[in-house]
Amino acid sequence: MKTASLLAAGIALLGTLPVHAHHSFAAEFDGTKPVRLVGTITRIQWTNPHSYFYLDVRDAQGRIRNWACESGNPGALSRRGWKKGDIKLGDTLIVDGYLAKDGSRLVDARRVKLPDGRSVYGDTASDGGTDGAPR
Amino acid sequence: MSRVTIRSAINALLCASATLLPPAAADARSGASPPVPATHPPVSAAQAAARDKLEASELQAEGLLGDDAHASTAPPPRNADGHPDLSGFWKGSRDTRPVGNIGKDLPGFKLPLTRAGEIALKNNLTQVVDPESRCLIGGIPRHDASALPFAIVQNRDHVTWLYMYTYFRSVPFDVRTHPQDPDPQYFGDEIGWWEGDAFVVDAVGFKDHDMWIDENGNPASGAMHAIERWTRPDAGHLHVEVTIDDPKYYTHPFKYGRTWVAGKPGDRLREALCTENQLDLKHLGPGPGGIRADGTRGYDVPPLPATPPGPDAYGK
Repeated sequence: MKTASLLAAGIALLGTLPVHAHHSFAAEFDGTKPVRLVGTITRIQWTNPHSYFYLDVRDAQGRIRNWACESGNPGALSRRGWKKGDIKLGDTLIVDGYLAKDGSRLVDARRVKLPDGRSVYGDTASDGGTDGAPR
Repeated sequence: MSRVTIRSAINALLCASATLLPPAAADARSGASPPVPATHPPVSAAQAAARDKLEASELQAEGLLGDDAHASTAPPPRNADGHPDLSGFWKGSRDTRPVGNIGKDLPGFKLPLTRAGEIALKNNLTQVVDPESRCLIGGIPRHDASALPFAIVQNRDHVTWLYMYTYFRSVPFDVRTHPQDPDPQYFGDEIGWWEGDAFVVDAVGFKDHDMWIDENGNPASGAMHAIERWTRPDAGHLHVEVTIDDPKYYTHPFKYGRTWVAGKPGDRLREALCTENQLDLKHLGPGPGGIRADGTRGYDVPPLPATPPGPDAYGK
Protein backbone atom coordinates (compact mmCIF):
# COMPACT_ATOMS: atom_id res chain seq x y z
CA MET A 1 0.00 0.00 0.00
CA LYS A 2 2.84 2.33 0.88
CA THR A 3 4.47 1.50 -2.44
CA ALA A 4 1.23 2.25 -4.26
CA SER A 5 0.91 5.61 -2.52
CA LEU A 6 4.47 6.60 -3.31
CA LEU A 7 4.05 5.65 -6.95
CA ALA A 8 0.78 7.54 -7.25
CA ALA A 9 2.27 10.61 -5.58
CA GLY A 10 5.33 10.48 -7.80
CA ILE A 11 3.25 10.17 -10.93
CA ALA A 12 0.98 13.01 -9.87
CA LEU A 13 4.02 15.26 -9.56
CA LEU A 14 5.24 14.55 -13.05
CA GLY A 15 2.60 16.67 -14.75
CA THR A 16 2.26 17.33 -18.45
CA LEU A 17 4.81 18.53 -20.90
CA PRO A 18 5.00 21.14 -23.60
CA VAL A 19 4.07 20.29 -27.13
CA HIS A 20 6.51 21.89 -29.51
CA ALA A 21 6.64 19.70 -32.55
CA HIS A 22 6.40 21.05 -36.06
CA HIS A 23 3.57 18.58 -36.56
CA SER A 24 1.91 16.08 -34.27
CA PHE A 25 2.98 12.45 -34.44
CA ALA A 26 -0.55 11.40 -35.29
CA ALA A 27 -0.73 13.60 -38.38
CA GLU A 28 1.89 11.49 -40.12
CA PHE A 29 2.59 8.17 -38.37
CA ASP A 30 0.66 5.10 -37.27
CA GLY A 31 1.12 4.30 -33.58
CA THR A 32 -0.12 0.75 -34.16
CA LYS A 33 2.71 -0.09 -36.56
CA PRO A 34 6.08 -0.14 -34.81
CA VAL A 35 8.88 -1.26 -37.11
CA ARG A 36 12.60 -1.96 -37.04
CA LEU A 37 14.79 -1.11 -40.01
CA VAL A 38 18.34 -2.40 -40.33
CA GLY A 39 20.16 -0.96 -43.28
CA THR A 40 22.98 1.07 -44.74
CA ILE A 41 22.83 4.83 -45.13
CA THR A 42 22.44 6.04 -48.70
CA ARG A 43 21.63 9.72 -48.12
CA ILE A 44 21.66 12.22 -45.23
CA GLN A 45 19.77 15.52 -45.00
CA TRP A 46 20.53 17.70 -41.95
CA THR A 47 17.62 20.06 -42.59
CA ASN A 48 14.82 21.99 -40.90
CA PRO A 49 12.19 21.41 -39.74
CA HIS A 50 13.19 17.74 -39.84
CA SER A 51 16.34 15.83 -40.64
CA TYR A 52 16.11 12.79 -42.87
CA PHE A 53 18.35 9.89 -43.61
CA TYR A 54 17.75 7.07 -46.05
CA LEU A 55 18.52 3.39 -45.61
CA ASP A 56 18.85 0.52 -48.03
CA VAL A 57 17.06 -2.34 -46.29
CA ARG A 58 17.00 -5.95 -47.53
CA ASP A 59 13.57 -7.59 -47.29
CA ALA A 60 12.75 -11.27 -46.70
CA GLN A 61 12.96 -11.97 -50.43
CA GLY A 62 16.40 -10.45 -50.63
CA ARG A 63 15.25 -7.32 -52.44
CA ILE A 64 16.79 -3.99 -51.48
CA ARG A 65 14.25 -1.28 -50.58
CA ASN A 66 15.15 2.31 -49.83
CA TRP A 67 13.46 3.83 -46.76
CA ALA A 68 13.26 7.44 -45.56
CA CYS A 69 13.68 8.02 -41.82
CA GLU A 70 12.31 11.26 -40.34
CA SER A 71 14.12 12.76 -37.35
CA GLY A 72 14.21 15.92 -35.30
CA ASN A 73 15.81 19.10 -36.58
CA PRO A 74 19.62 19.36 -36.53
CA GLY A 75 19.64 21.68 -33.51
CA ALA A 76 17.51 19.34 -31.43
CA LEU A 77 19.58 16.29 -32.38
CA SER A 78 22.82 18.12 -31.74
CA ARG A 79 21.74 19.32 -28.31
CA ARG A 80 20.86 15.72 -27.45
CA GLY A 81 24.33 14.56 -28.45
CA TRP A 82 23.76 13.30 -32.00
CA LYS A 83 26.16 15.30 -34.17
CA LYS A 84 26.26 15.16 -37.94
CA GLY A 85 29.71 13.57 -37.80
CA ASP A 86 28.28 10.57 -35.98
CA ILE A 87 26.97 8.97 -39.18
CA LYS A 88 28.20 8.79 -42.77
CA LEU A 89 27.15 7.18 -46.04
CA GLY A 90 27.54 3.40 -45.90
CA ASP A 91 27.18 3.12 -42.13
CA THR A 92 24.75 0.54 -40.80
CA LEU A 93 21.97 1.80 -38.54
CA ILE A 94 19.24 0.12 -36.55
CA VAL A 95 16.17 2.34 -36.53
CA ASP A 96 13.07 1.62 -34.44
CA GLY A 97 10.02 3.74 -35.15
CA TYR A 98 6.60 3.74 -36.73
CA LEU A 99 5.35 3.44 -40.28
CA ALA A 100 3.82 6.41 -42.06
CA LYS A 101 0.03 6.30 -42.22
CA ASP A 102 -0.03 6.76 -45.98
CA GLY A 103 1.81 3.49 -46.62
CA SER A 104 4.95 5.02 -48.07
CA ARG A 105 8.41 3.75 -47.12
CA LEU A 106 8.83 6.39 -44.45
CA VAL A 107 9.33 5.85 -40.73
CA ASP A 108 9.44 8.03 -37.66
CA ALA A 109 12.96 7.39 -36.34
CA ARG A 110 12.19 7.32 -32.63
CA ARG A 111 15.15 5.23 -31.52
CA VAL A 112 18.38 5.02 -33.48
CA LYS A 113 21.37 2.83 -32.73
CA LEU A 114 24.41 4.67 -34.02
CA PRO A 115 27.55 3.03 -35.44
CA ASP A 116 29.40 3.77 -32.18
CA GLY A 117 26.86 1.72 -30.25
CA ARG A 118 24.97 4.59 -28.66
CA SER A 119 21.19 4.50 -28.79
CA VAL A 120 19.73 7.98 -29.25
CA TYR A 121 16.26 9.44 -29.27
CA GLY A 122 15.89 10.37 -32.91
CA ASP A 123 12.69 12.32 -33.23
CA THR A 124 10.80 15.23 -31.76
CA ALA A 125 10.17 15.16 -28.04
CA SER A 126 6.58 15.73 -27.06
CA ASP A 127 5.00 15.48 -30.50
CA GLY A 128 2.40 13.14 -29.04
CA GLY A 129 4.30 10.00 -29.95
CA THR A 130 6.19 7.64 -27.71
CA ASP A 131 9.48 8.53 -26.07
CA GLY A 132 11.35 5.71 -27.74
CA ALA A 133 12.49 4.07 -24.52
CA PRO A 134 12.59 0.30 -24.86
CA ARG A 135 9.97 -1.67 -22.93
CA MET B 1 22.19 9.56 -13.18
CA SER B 2 22.59 8.72 -16.87
CA ARG B 3 19.64 8.91 -19.22
CA VAL B 4 19.76 5.14 -19.72
CA THR B 5 19.54 4.70 -15.95
CA ILE B 6 16.69 7.18 -15.77
CA ARG B 7 14.89 5.26 -18.48
CA SER B 8 15.44 2.01 -16.66
CA ALA B 9 13.99 3.56 -13.52
CA ILE B 10 11.00 4.87 -15.42
CA ASN B 11 10.47 1.52 -17.04
CA ALA B 12 10.48 -0.12 -13.63
CA LEU B 13 8.00 2.49 -12.44
CA LEU B 14 5.84 1.80 -15.45
CA CYS B 15 5.77 -1.92 -14.88
CA ALA B 16 5.13 -1.57 -11.16
CA SER B 17 2.45 1.05 -11.45
CA ALA B 18 0.54 -0.12 -14.48
CA THR B 19 -1.80 -2.22 -12.40
CA LEU B 20 -2.29 0.38 -9.68
CA LEU B 21 -3.77 3.24 -11.61
CA PRO B 22 -6.89 3.51 -13.75
CA PRO B 23 -6.69 3.85 -17.54
CA ALA B 24 -6.42 7.35 -18.91
CA ALA B 25 -9.69 9.21 -19.22
CA ALA B 26 -11.30 9.56 -22.61
CA ASP B 27 -10.13 12.36 -24.85
CA ALA B 28 -11.18 15.75 -23.55
CA ARG B 29 -11.01 18.71 -25.89
CA SER B 30 -11.40 22.36 -25.33
CA GLY B 31 -14.66 23.25 -26.97
CA ALA B 32 -17.47 21.01 -28.16
CA SER B 33 -15.49 18.97 -30.60
CA PRO B 34 -15.97 15.36 -31.58
CA PRO B 35 -13.17 13.23 -30.12
CA VAL B 36 -10.85 11.65 -32.64
CA PRO B 37 -11.04 7.90 -32.10
CA ALA B 38 -7.85 6.10 -31.15
CA THR B 39 -6.99 3.03 -33.16
CA HIS B 40 -5.06 1.20 -30.47
CA PRO B 41 -5.51 0.23 -26.81
CA PRO B 42 -5.57 3.19 -24.39
CA VAL B 43 -2.37 4.18 -22.65
CA SER B 44 -2.56 4.02 -18.87
CA ALA B 45 -2.10 7.07 -16.67
CA ALA B 46 1.14 5.56 -15.42
CA GLN B 47 2.45 5.05 -18.94
CA ALA B 48 1.49 8.62 -19.85
CA ALA B 49 3.17 10.02 -16.76
CA ALA B 50 6.36 8.09 -17.40
CA ARG B 51 6.32 9.25 -21.00
CA ASP B 52 5.89 12.84 -19.86
CA LYS B 53 8.85 12.60 -17.52
CA LEU B 54 11.04 11.25 -20.26
CA GLU B 55 9.84 13.94 -22.64
CA ALA B 56 10.78 16.49 -19.99
CA SER B 57 14.28 15.13 -19.79
CA GLU B 58 14.55 15.29 -23.57
CA LEU B 59 13.24 18.85 -23.66
CA GLN B 60 15.65 19.80 -20.89
CA ALA B 61 18.47 18.20 -22.85
CA GLU B 62 17.48 20.28 -25.85
CA GLY B 63 17.50 23.45 -23.76
CA LEU B 64 13.87 24.25 -24.52
CA LEU B 65 12.49 24.28 -20.97
CA GLY B 66 13.19 27.10 -18.55
CA ASP B 67 14.88 26.57 -15.20
CA ASP B 68 12.05 27.57 -12.88
CA ALA B 69 13.96 26.80 -9.70
CA HIS B 70 16.78 29.22 -10.42
CA ALA B 71 14.94 32.09 -12.12
CA SER B 72 16.00 35.47 -10.77
CA THR B 73 13.59 37.39 -8.58
CA ALA B 74 15.69 40.58 -8.69
CA PRO B 75 13.91 43.73 -9.87
CA PRO B 76 13.41 43.87 -13.64
CA PRO B 77 15.90 45.86 -15.71
CA ARG B 78 14.62 49.19 -16.99
CA ASN B 79 15.46 51.29 -20.00
CA ALA B 80 16.45 54.95 -19.87
CA ASP B 81 12.80 55.89 -20.35
CA GLY B 82 11.92 54.05 -17.13
CA HIS B 83 9.91 51.30 -18.80
CA PRO B 84 10.72 47.70 -17.91
CA ASP B 85 13.03 46.14 -20.49
CA LEU B 86 11.31 43.01 -21.81
CA SER B 87 14.42 42.00 -23.78
CA GLY B 88 15.73 38.50 -23.29
CA PHE B 89 15.55 34.87 -24.34
CA TRP B 90 12.41 33.37 -22.88
CA LYS B 91 11.63 29.71 -22.23
CA GLY B 92 8.50 27.92 -21.13
CA SER B 93 7.81 27.25 -17.49
CA ARG B 94 6.86 23.82 -16.19
CA ASP B 95 3.92 25.55 -14.52
CA THR B 96 2.23 26.26 -17.86
CA ARG B 97 -0.13 23.31 -18.26
CA PRO B 98 -1.45 22.35 -20.67
CA VAL B 99 0.86 24.04 -23.14
CA GLY B 100 -0.64 24.75 -26.54
CA ASN B 101 -4.24 24.90 -25.33
CA ILE B 102 -5.75 28.40 -25.42
CA GLY B 103 -8.52 27.17 -23.10
CA LYS B 104 -5.93 26.42 -20.39
CA ASP B 105 -7.49 28.81 -17.88
CA LEU B 106 -11.11 27.83 -18.55
CA PRO B 107 -12.98 25.12 -16.63
CA GLY B 108 -12.43 21.81 -18.39
CA PHE B 109 -10.39 23.72 -21.02
CA LYS B 110 -13.76 24.33 -22.69
CA LEU B 111 -13.85 27.24 -25.10
CA PRO B 112 -17.13 29.14 -25.63
CA LEU B 113 -17.60 28.17 -29.26
CA THR B 114 -20.45 29.53 -31.32
CA ARG B 115 -22.21 27.20 -33.75
CA ALA B 116 -19.98 28.59 -36.49
CA GLY B 117 -16.98 27.95 -34.25
CA GLU B 118 -17.99 24.31 -33.75
CA ILE B 119 -18.28 23.86 -37.50
CA ALA B 120 -14.92 25.53 -38.07
CA LEU B 121 -13.30 23.33 -35.41
CA LYS B 122 -14.72 20.18 -36.96
CA ASN B 123 -13.40 21.30 -40.31
CA ASN B 124 -9.94 21.89 -38.81
CA LEU B 125 -9.96 18.44 -37.23
CA THR B 126 -11.04 16.55 -40.30
CA GLN B 127 -10.06 18.59 -43.36
CA VAL B 128 -7.20 20.96 -42.56
CA VAL B 129 -3.50 20.19 -42.23
CA ASP B 130 -2.07 22.25 -39.38
CA PRO B 131 -1.07 25.64 -40.84
CA GLU B 132 2.18 25.66 -38.83
CA SER B 133 3.05 22.24 -40.29
CA ARG B 134 2.70 23.93 -43.68
CA CYS B 135 5.19 26.55 -42.48
CA LEU B 136 2.63 29.30 -42.16
CA ILE B 137 2.97 31.68 -39.21
CA GLY B 138 1.00 30.56 -36.17
CA GLY B 139 0.24 34.17 -35.24
CA ILE B 140 -1.25 35.28 -31.98
CA PRO B 141 -2.57 34.06 -29.69
CA ARG B 142 -1.18 30.68 -30.85
CA HIS B 143 2.43 31.80 -30.34
CA ASP B 144 1.52 32.95 -26.83
CA ALA B 145 0.44 29.39 -26.01
CA SER B 146 3.40 27.68 -27.72
CA ALA B 147 6.10 25.71 -25.93
CA LEU B 148 8.84 27.08 -28.15
CA PRO B 149 11.25 29.65 -26.71
CA PHE B 150 11.50 33.09 -28.28
CA ALA B 151 13.51 36.28 -27.92
CA ILE B 152 12.44 39.87 -27.32
CA VAL B 153 14.49 42.87 -28.36
CA GLN B 154 13.27 46.19 -27.01
CA ASN B 155 14.64 49.56 -28.01
CA ARG B 156 13.48 53.09 -27.32
CA ASP B 157 10.36 52.92 -29.45
CA HIS B 158 9.63 49.29 -30.41
CA VAL B 159 9.26 45.86 -28.89
CA THR B 160 10.21 43.08 -31.30
CA TRP B 161 9.49 39.38 -30.81
CA LEU B 162 11.77 36.90 -32.60
CA TYR B 163 10.43 33.38 -32.96
CA MET B 164 11.82 30.06 -34.15
CA TYR B 165 11.42 29.35 -37.86
CA THR B 166 12.53 32.95 -38.44
CA TYR B 167 9.19 34.61 -37.72
CA PHE B 168 9.02 38.02 -36.06
CA ARG B 169 6.66 40.81 -35.10
CA SER B 170 7.58 44.35 -34.20
CA VAL B 171 5.22 46.66 -32.32
CA PRO B 172 5.86 50.41 -32.00
CA PHE B 173 5.17 52.35 -28.79
CA ASP B 174 2.40 54.90 -28.61
CA VAL B 175 0.42 54.06 -31.70
CA ARG B 176 -3.19 54.26 -30.60
CA THR B 177 -5.30 53.67 -33.69
CA HIS B 178 -5.55 50.97 -36.33
CA PRO B 179 -5.90 51.76 -40.02
CA GLN B 180 -9.49 51.74 -41.17
CA ASP B 181 -9.15 48.60 -43.28
CA PRO B 182 -5.99 46.81 -42.14
CA ASP B 183 -4.32 44.23 -44.34
CA PRO B 184 -4.96 40.72 -43.00
CA GLN B 185 -1.94 39.33 -41.12
CA TYR B 186 -1.22 36.27 -38.97
CA PHE B 187 -0.14 38.55 -36.11
CA GLY B 188 -2.84 41.05 -36.99
CA ASP B 189 -2.37 44.80 -37.28
CA GLU B 190 -0.57 45.46 -34.00
CA ILE B 191 -0.38 48.73 -32.11
CA GLY B 192 1.07 49.23 -28.65
CA TRP B 193 1.42 51.52 -25.69
CA TRP B 194 2.55 51.43 -22.07
CA GLU B 195 0.10 51.34 -19.18
CA GLY B 196 2.35 51.72 -16.17
CA ASP B 197 4.77 48.78 -16.34
CA ALA B 198 2.62 46.82 -18.80
CA PHE B 199 3.19 46.94 -22.54
CA VAL B 200 -0.20 46.60 -24.20
CA VAL B 201 -0.47 45.16 -27.71
CA ASP B 202 -3.79 45.58 -29.45
CA ALA B 203 -4.32 43.56 -32.62
CA VAL B 204 -7.11 43.37 -35.20
CA GLY B 205 -7.10 42.52 -38.89
CA PHE B 206 -6.20 38.83 -38.72
CA LYS B 207 -6.24 36.30 -41.52
CA ASP B 208 -9.67 34.75 -41.98
CA HIS B 209 -8.23 31.42 -43.12
CA ASP B 210 -5.33 29.09 -42.29
CA MET B 211 -5.16 30.25 -38.69
CA TRP B 212 -5.57 28.03 -35.66
CA ILE B 213 -6.00 29.83 -32.37
CA ASP B 214 -3.90 27.15 -30.63
CA GLU B 215 -2.06 23.86 -31.15
CA ASN B 216 -5.31 21.92 -30.75
CA GLY B 217 -6.95 23.10 -33.94
CA ASN B 218 -9.39 25.56 -32.39
CA PRO B 219 -10.43 28.19 -34.92
CA ALA B 220 -9.62 31.89 -35.26
CA SER B 221 -11.36 34.28 -37.63
CA GLY B 222 -10.64 37.59 -39.29
CA ALA B 223 -13.04 39.19 -36.80
CA MET B 224 -10.72 38.45 -33.87
CA HIS B 225 -9.51 41.23 -31.58
CA ALA B 226 -6.65 40.28 -29.26
CA ILE B 227 -5.29 42.46 -26.48
CA GLU B 228 -2.07 41.36 -24.80
CA ARG B 229 -0.63 42.83 -21.61
CA TRP B 230 3.08 42.04 -21.32
CA THR B 231 4.82 42.49 -17.97
CA ARG B 232 8.20 41.58 -16.49
CA PRO B 233 7.49 41.23 -12.77
CA ASP B 234 11.14 40.49 -12.03
CA ALA B 235 14.38 39.86 -13.92
CA GLY B 236 13.70 36.15 -14.32
CA HIS B 237 10.09 36.10 -15.48
CA LEU B 238 7.96 37.42 -18.33
CA HIS B 239 4.17 37.31 -18.22
CA VAL B 240 1.36 37.83 -20.69
CA GLU B 241 -2.35 38.08 -20.22
CA VAL B 242 -4.27 38.06 -23.47
CA THR B 243 -7.95 38.80 -23.94
CA ILE B 244 -9.45 37.20 -27.03
CA ASP B 245 -12.66 38.51 -28.55
CA ASP B 246 -13.73 36.69 -31.71
CA PRO B 247 -17.50 37.04 -32.03
CA LYS B 248 -17.62 34.88 -35.15
CA TYR B 249 -16.34 31.76 -33.42
CA TYR B 250 -16.71 32.44 -29.66
CA THR B 251 -19.80 33.53 -27.75
CA HIS B 252 -17.92 35.90 -25.45
CA PRO B 253 -14.37 37.15 -24.82
CA PHE B 254 -12.06 34.96 -22.74
CA LYS B 255 -8.59 35.26 -21.25
CA TYR B 256 -5.35 33.28 -21.36
CA GLY B 257 -2.33 33.95 -19.17
CA ARG B 258 1.10 32.40 -18.76
CA THR B 259 4.66 33.04 -17.60
CA TRP B 260 8.05 32.37 -19.20
CA VAL B 261 11.44 31.99 -17.53
CA ALA B 262 14.62 33.83 -18.59
CA GLY B 263 17.09 31.67 -20.47
CA LYS B 264 20.67 31.12 -19.46
CA PRO B 265 23.47 33.48 -20.56
CA GLY B 266 24.45 32.49 -24.07
CA ASP B 267 21.03 31.14 -25.01
CA ARG B 268 19.96 32.48 -28.39
CA LEU B 269 17.84 31.65 -31.38
CA ARG B 270 19.50 29.57 -34.06
CA GLU B 271 18.78 29.32 -37.75
CA ALA B 272 15.72 27.15 -38.36
CA LEU B 273 14.03 27.73 -41.70
CA CYS B 274 10.72 25.90 -41.80
CA THR B 275 10.59 25.73 -45.58
CA GLU B 276 14.06 24.25 -46.06
CA ASN B 277 12.84 20.68 -46.41
CA GLN B 278 9.10 20.01 -46.41
CA LEU B 279 9.31 16.34 -47.28
CA ASP B 280 6.85 15.61 -44.49
CA LEU B 281 4.16 17.82 -45.95
CA LYS B 282 2.85 15.38 -48.54
CA HIS B 283 2.49 12.73 -45.82
CA LEU B 284 0.54 14.83 -43.30
CA GLY B 285 -3.10 14.22 -42.54
CA PRO B 286 -5.59 16.77 -41.18
CA GLY B 287 -6.05 17.87 -37.61
CA PRO B 288 -3.79 18.01 -34.57
CA GLY B 289 -4.25 14.37 -33.55
CA GLY B 290 -6.36 13.35 -30.61
CA ILE B 291 -6.36 15.59 -27.56
CA ARG B 292 -5.21 13.88 -24.39
CA ALA B 293 -7.15 14.06 -21.15
CA ASP B 294 -4.51 16.55 -19.94
CA GLY B 295 -5.50 18.99 -22.70
CA THR B 296 -2.42 18.56 -24.91
CA ARG B 297 -2.48 17.30 -28.45
CA GLY B 298 -1.23 13.99 -29.74
CA TYR B 299 -2.30 10.39 -29.57
CA ASP B 300 -1.35 8.35 -26.55
CA VAL B 301 0.86 5.95 -28.44
CA PRO B 302 1.75 2.64 -26.78
CA PRO B 303 5.41 2.28 -25.83
CA LEU B 304 7.80 1.34 -28.59
CA PRO B 305 8.62 -2.39 -28.25
CA ALA B 306 12.20 -3.32 -27.43
CA THR B 307 12.42 -5.24 -30.71
CA PRO B 308 9.80 -4.12 -33.22
CA PRO B 309 9.07 -6.34 -36.23
CA GLY B 310 10.75 -5.70 -39.55
CA PRO B 311 8.89 -4.17 -42.49
CA ASP B 312 8.05 -7.63 -43.85
CA ALA B 313 5.51 -7.92 -41.02
CA TYR B 314 3.49 -5.25 -42.80
CA GLY B 315 4.06 -6.56 -46.30
CA LYS B 316 6.50 -3.76 -47.02
